[in-house]
Amino acid sequence: MTAYPPVPFADELLPALEAMNAAPQPPLTEESLPHTRDGADRMFPAAAELVAGRAVETEERVIPGPAGSPELEITIFRPAGHDAASAPVPALVNYHGGGMIVGHRSWEHGRVVDLVESLGVVGVNVEYRLAPEHPYPAGVEDNYAAFVWTAEHAAELGVDPERIVVMGGSAGGGFAAAVALMARDRKGPALAGQLLICPMLDNTNSTVGSYQYDGIGTWQRELNLLAWRMVLGAELASSTDAPAYAAPSRAEDLAGLAPAFIEVGAAEMFRDEDVDYASRIWATGGQAELHVWGGAFHGFDMYAPDTELTRAALASRDSWLRRVLGL
Amino acid sequence: MTTDAAPIPVPYDPALEPGLAAFLELVERIPLRADTILANRAHFATVIPPIEAQLGELPLEFEHRRVPGPAGAPDLEVTIIRPRERAEAAPGVLSIHGGGLVLGTRFFGTPELIELALRYGTVGVAVEYRLAPEHPGPAAVEDCYAALEWFAAHAAELGVDPERIIVSGASAGGGLSAGVSLLARGRGGPRLAGQLLNCPMLDDRNETVSSRQYDGIGAWDRNNNDTAWTAVLGDRRFGDDVSPAVAPARAAELGGLPPAYLEVGAAEVFRDETVAYASRIWAAGGQAELHVWAGAYHGFSGFSPEAIVSRAANEARDSWLRRTLGVLPSEPSA
Repeated sequence: MTAYPPVPFADELLPALEAMNAAPQPPLTEESLPHTRDGADRMFPAAAELVAGRAVETEERVIPGPAGSPELEITIFRPAGHDAASAPVPALVNYHGGGMIVGHRSWEHGRVVDLVESLGVVGVNVEYRLAPEHPYPAGVEDNYAAFVWTAEHAAELGVDPERIVVMGGSAGGGFAAAVALMARDRKGPALAGQLLICPMLDNTNSTVGSYQYDGIGTWQRELNLLAWRMVLGAELASSTDAPAYAAPSRAEDLAGLAPAFIEVGAAEMFRDEDVDYASRIWATGGQAELHVWGGAFHGFDMYAPDTELTRAALASRDSWLRRVLGL
Repeated sequence: MTTDAAPIPVPYDPALEPGLAAFLELVERIPLRADTILANRAHFATVIPPIEAQLGELPLEFEHRRVPGPAGAPDLEVTIIRPRERAEAAPGVLSIHGGGLVLGTRFFGTPELIELALRYGTVGVAVEYRLAPEHPGPAAVEDCYAALEWFAAHAAELGVDPERIIVSGASAGGGLSAGVSLLARGRGGPRLAGQLLNCPMLDDRNETVSSRQYDGIGAWDRNNNDTAWTAVLGDRRFGDDVSPAVAPARAAELGGLPPAYLEVGAAEVFRDETVAYASRIWAAGGQAELHVWAGAYHGFSGFSPEAIVSRAANEARDSWLRRTLGVLPSEPSA
C-alpha cells in the first residue's frame, strides 16, 4: 500500500478545523443517518429570518417534480421590489450539499441570499430527495425538474431565460454538473453556466486526492464511499459503469456544455477529480475556469468564512458570475 | 509528432480580444522562428520602457549592481527596486523576466517589482540572465540561481527578511522560477518562501492537448514555443537527459518544494503543462495553488488589465502574496 502524504492545511484554516474536531459529531453511518437527518431543516435560520433587514424578499413554493414523482419544495429569493414587471434579471438555481444523503436547502440559504443581494439576481434553492431512501436518479431528476421549472417560469419570476446558472457545493456541485449534462443531452432550456464548488463528481474514489484525505479533513474518504454506495447501490458504487448523471466524471463526452466554474481546495479529496473534469472540458474546446485554493479543505468557505482564503474564493466566484451573466 | 488536425481550441473571452490583438501587433509582429530570433529580440527591446520611465515619480529607488555569476561564468547585472523609505526585514522578490528564454531583458519583469514594492514594501531584484541560442540551457537557470544565492546572502544588507524571499516570473520567467526552486531544493540552497509561476513555460516536449490547440493562433503559439525550446536545448530536446532545472516538467518528483502559485489561461499552450505541474506537486503532498482563467490568452492579465477576468486574476495573485509573505490584514487584537 502506497502512502499518500496529504497536502497540508493552510495555517489560517486550522482554527476552524480544530473547532470542528473539538466538537465531534457522531460518525455518519447507515445506522446513524436518521438521527443525523433529524432536525436538519431547523439547524439553520429560515429564509424569512435570514432576509430580515436586507433588500431581499423570499417566497416558499411547491412545484411539480419529475413525471410520476412527488412535488418539490423550493425557496425563491429575489431583490426587494423585483417582480414580473421589472426588467428581467439572471437566476441562480442552487442545489445544497450533504453527500446526496444529508442536508436541507436551508443550509445554503445564506450562500444564495448573499449572491441575490450582491448581484441583483433571483435565487431558487431546491429541496431534492436524498439517498438511500431515494437512490439515483431521484435526486438528479428532482434537480433537473427544478431547473426546467425555473426556465419555464422565467417570465413569471422576472428572470431572463438566457441567463440561468445552476450551482452547488459538494454533492450540489455534482448535481449542477449532472443537470448541465442533462440540459445538453435532452436539448433542455438554455443554461448560461454551471458553478461547481468542490463538486462531488467521481464515484470511483481512485484519485491520489481521494487517498490523501483518508481519516483527515472535513469530508473524508469513508464518508464518500458511504455516500456513493447509498446513491448507486453496492454493485455500482465504485464502478466505472455508473451512470454519468449520477457521477458526471463518468460522462464520455464533455463537449458542448454550459461554461463551467470549478473551485476546489488543494487539501481535499475532490481535488483531482475536479481538476480532471476541467481538463476534459478544455480538451473538447469547452469553456471552464478552475480555481484550486492552496491548503484549503473541503467546504472551507462555509467553515472558515472570515479568512483571506475565503474572501479570495468568493471574489473569484463573483467575478466569474459577472462575466457569464454580463453583470 | 502527430499529424492529426489540431483539436478545437477553448475560445477567448470576448473582453480579452482587443488586448490579444494589441499583444500580437506589439510583441509578436514577427513570427518567432530559428532565423528570426535576433530580429525578434531587437524588436522586443523596443517595447520595454527604460527603468527610469517605469518608475517616474513613484516613491521608489533603483540600483544597478554587478553580482557574481555561476562558477566559471560571467558576472550578472541585477537591478534592485525598493521603497525610498527603507524598512527592516522586508519581503524579497527575485523577478525573472519572460521572453521564451530567447528574448527580453530584466526590465520586462520590473513592473511587477514596482507594483509589489508600492503595495507591500518589498525589495525586488531583477536578474539579467543569458539567452538562448547563444547560451543554451542551463545557462539561464544557473544565472538565476546565482542571483538567488547572492540575494539570500545579502538579505541583511538589503533589509530583507531571509525567510520571506520568493521567486517570481511569467512565461519563461515562470519556468525559470520553477527551475530555480528545483535547484535550491536539490542543492540545499536558500530557503524560498514561495514560487510564483505565472503562465510558466515548463515542458520542452510540446505534446499536451493545449499545445496542439493553439497552433497558429493566439499569443505564444505552439510554433513560437517550438522555436524557443529548440534554441534552448538543441539536439538534447525531447531526449531522456533534459535537465529538470531547464524543463521543470521533467523533474522525477516534486515533493519538498516551496509553496507554489500557478496561474495560466484556459486558452493557451501552457494550460495543460501548468495543471500537470500543480497536480504532481499535490500528489507529493506539496503546497500549490492553481488558477486557470476562462478564455484567457497567454499573458492576458498584463495586456488586458481592464478586463474583468484580468482584475480577478490580479486579485487572486495578490491574495496569495498576502498569505505567503505574511502581510495579512491586521490580526484581531487579543
